[in-house]
Amino acid sequence: MRIPTKLIAKLVLCFMPAIAWAAGKEITVWAWDPNFNIAIMKEAAERYKADHPDVKFKIVDFAKADVEQKLLTNLASGVTKALPDIVLIEDYNAQKYLQSFPGSFADLTKEIDYKNFAPYKVSLMTVNKKVYGIPFDTGVTGLFYRRDILEKAGYSEDDLKDLTWDRFIEIGKAVKEKTGTYMMSLDPNDSGILRIMMHSANSWFFDDKGHPALDSNPVLAESMSTVQKLFASGIVRPSNSWADWVSTFNQGEVATVTTGVWIIGSVKSVADQSGKWGVAPIPKLNIAGATHASNLGGSSWYVMNSSKAKKEAIDFLKTVYAGDTDFYQDILVQHGAVGTYLPSQTGPAYSTKDPFFGGQAEFLSFSEWLKNVPALNFGLYTYEVGDALVAQVPGLLQGGSVEQALKNAQRQAASLVQ
Amino acid sequence: MARQQTTPMNRFMNVNGWAFVSVSLVLIALFSIYPVIKSLWLSTQVGMGVVTHFGGFSNIVRLANDPLFLTALKNTFIFLIVQVPIMIMLALVLANALNNPNLKFRGILRTAIFLPCVTSLVAYSVLFKSMFSYNGLINSFLLAIHVISDPIPWLTDPFWAKVTIIIAITWRWTGYNMIFYLAALQNIDRSIYEAADLEGASARHKFFKITIPMLKPVILFTTITSTIGTLQLFDEVMNITVGGPANATITLSMYIYNLSFKFVPNFGYAATVSYVIVLIVALLSVLQFKVVGREK
Repeated sequence: MRIPTKLIAKLVLCFMPAIAWAAGKEITVWAWDPNFNIAIMKEAAERYKADHPDVKFKIVDFAKADVEQKLLTNLASGVTKALPDIVLIEDYNAQKYLQSFPGSFADLTKEIDYKNFAPYKVSLMTVNKKVYGIPFDTGVTGLFYRRDILEKAGYSEDDLKDLTWDRFIEIGKAVKEKTGTYMMSLDPNDSGILRIMMHSANSWFFDDKGHPALDSNPVLAESMSTVQKLFASGIVRPSNSWADWVSTFNQGEVATVTTGVWIIGSVKSVADQSGKWGVAPIPKLNIAGATHASNLGGSSWYVMNSSKAKKEAIDFLKTVYAGDTDFYQDILVQHGAVGTYLPSQTGPAYSTKDPFFGGQAEFLSFSEWLKNVPALNFGLYTYEVGDALVAQVPGLLQGGSVEQALKNAQRQAASLVQ
Repeated sequence: MARQQTTPMNRFMNVNGWAFVSVSLVLIALFSIYPVIKSLWLSTQVGMGVVTHFGGFSNIVRLANDPLFLTALKNTFIFLIVQVPIMIMLALVLANALNNPNLKFRGILRTAIFLPCVTSLVAYSVLFKSMFSYNGLINSFLLAIHVISDPIPWLTDPFWAKVTIIIAITWRWTGYNMIFYLAALQNIDRSIYEAADLEGASARHKFFKITIPMLKPVILFTTITSTIGTLQLFDEVMNITVGGPANATITLSMYIYNLSFKFVPNFGYAATVSYVIVLIVALLSVLQFKVVGREK
């Protein structure tokens, strides 16, 4: 008997999609940073799959700029076919996407109990009283320092408590002189350090109407002049990219790193520096209202309205990211992710003493500082303003006045924000 | 039967002819003419993302008062004015040297100089970025042979960043232009040089009085293509300096990218800036044709 193999093959092919459909939906996720967001999302997917074996996940890893660009081009083209179901968006960018492409993101106001999340995160994803997205990690900042290098220069843990930036520069000069090591590395093209300083004094770049207000902001003037002093003091090793910047502390070229808590993964990636690191509060600006607590970056998950697996995607985020405290303990220990889900802010993981940080319970400190991070509205144009400000840094390095620099920056920012 | 096919009217009415070109006509209309018209319409739109409305000439007004646009324009012209002549001269000299039949290893040398232009733009940019970084190959080498005592901030100083970009694009494109000159040099009659030799002309004289005038059409061609290429400069600045430091290397193309993908998306204004490039390319090409044409 002849077996109609071809026919059978064709029939099977015809029913394949149906079989796949019956087996459950696939949730596609776009995110960046394989050591952090991607790894955490994979962990979350595993947890969800334990109870929902029929749901499949496709977690795609791009560079951050690529995620943003792909999302933007897809949204602008109006073709939703290639869009993912869940996408990670940095907090500074959230309002930009929500307001530029209304209707593209799922409204989760009624799905999630937002009282359980840090209020500053929720306000960043709210447009016209509707809340989009699930708050994820915070970028609460700290001053990471090399115990061994500072000790060689004669400084201990206690010297780093209640620092001002001026004192930081003094210590930096001594460290450079005695050990030959730079105090910190900065990319003159990156406005990150300015954002840290501004946020620490509860100030941002805009007036009430959302227009840039750069030349009339005393906190910004103080921040700019601090950056000027930092570069002029000779304690800064200039870096030219993210990778170069990471390599400066991985290779022991600098004694300290001031940035968001999410850098822990990169700091810990060099095993033979174990025990040599410590964390202290960031230095304070010399101005009224300044604190030692700030935030840099941080991002949140958003569900696309066009998603074919919208219901499943929302349920997944709700179950894991807005309900599973175990999960948050786990990613804290594994990846150094400080979530903004308030019920998870206590627990054994936070008090774990970390041998890499010389036995310091660093997350306990971070969660303490997190409580003091001022709640700010970043508005739409953080990157435009950041660009306008860093454009003035070379002028400052050559001894230009802060006042003039801010006037120039205001001009550029005003023309970009229209 | 009278043969009438050659009159213009008949040729116009010829169905077969239209059938043959119809495919390419449709494709050109779809992928070239339609986008041009659409982008012209786009350049009148203001707003962010998909929330836009008709703004008439407001984007053009904005252009005139935009310091960042002026910076990008200035940078683009600095690259153009400094880099293109250096590269064209270098390519001419190299082509002339490699055309010398007495030179040994000509084939290998030609290949070596041409090779950069088959490398991917992004790949070589990434390589240059690492070579020119603060503790990269170039600084280490210069320190080792005691040319400099402190590392040069190639990528973090506004002046040196421009120099780095110029070195990079010169490395990438000189060989490409050289090939055009080499090909054109083959077409110059050897007897002209022999006659010049008999008259006792020096090598310099032969180069300036014979080679360059004979290569004029090719030089014009390479100048125009290089001008257009430099005006569209994107990959190198995007990958080596990201337009920085302090916008010292931002080009018009890079600015268009920022307006669309880095800042709050404003595709209308980005389209307006891209039309500026079109205008400049057209103007410069006409100018170059005029300059060369007048001397003929």
